[in-house]
Amino acid sequence: MQSDPHQWITEHGDYLYRYAISRLHNEEVAADLIQETLLAAWKGHKSFAGQSTIRTWLVGILKHKIIDYIRKEIRDRNLNENAENDPTSAFFNNNGSWSEAPRAWNENPEALFQNEQFRAVLDSCMSKLPEKQGLVFRLRDIMGDETESVCKSCEITPTNLHVLMHRARLALRKCLEIHWFGEEAKL
Amino acid sequence: MKHACKDVSRLASDSIDRKLTLWEKVRFHLHLAMCKNCRNFDRAVELMHQATELIHQTRYGEAKLTESQRDRLHQAMDRET
Repeated sequence: MQSDPHQWITEHGDYLYRYAISRLHNEEVAADLIQETLLAAWKGHKSFAGQSTIRTWLVGILKHKIIDYIRKEIRDRNLNENAENDPTSAFFNNNGSWSEAPRAWNENPEALFQNEQFRAVLDSCMSKLPEKQGLVFRLRDIMGDETESVCKSCEITPTNLHVLMHRARLALRKCLEIHWFGEEAKL
Repeated sequence: MKHACKDVSRLASDSIDRKLTLWEKVRFHLHLAMCKNCRNFDRAVELMHQATELIHQTRYGEAKLTESQRDRLHQAMDRET
């Protein structure tokens, strides 16, 4: 294998950066984690079995650095959401029916996702989520199908993740409905 | 059917993140069949999931390390190698 870390930076640096920035939304942290990734890769490169490409191998290391980072954020900031104070109650009546009926979103997803304004609204709605929900949302996204195993390493149970995702989605949908799909938004 | 919509909204969210059990699936789809509000919510959840995934793939498609970030990486590797 090519074991020149300078060449890794030249050939894969931008790719790794895009991977990190799209998940962290923070340039400084993204660059720091890439440095950690390269250092870890350099230390371990002799044991790299060559079963995957260098890029896949580097992304694998980076992914774990990102998960570690988010996990540390959750722990350091002691982001506890009180289970007693269940924010989902606000969306439902006492009998469990919707307090405000969700409207039908009839937009074509493809067209919607190309729309810069929609992205801006989505972004601003995401940033309004309580911090822990926002972090878990990002965590879920990088975990893909490995939810269970990564949850374990993050000291958060799968059930906990599902609870937070449920809250986040209720809040995000409401925010989008007000600012994008709602009547007020169209005026 | 107390708490039905609240529970079903959780199933709609969970179905993105895990495999529902057979019983949950039955309950979920039976409820959706008769509840327009929950169908709307389920569709919104799906759309938001697709949107966040797609936006990741495209938003930073052109992002690149800056020269100074790149220099710093090379320097860091110089110290180690």
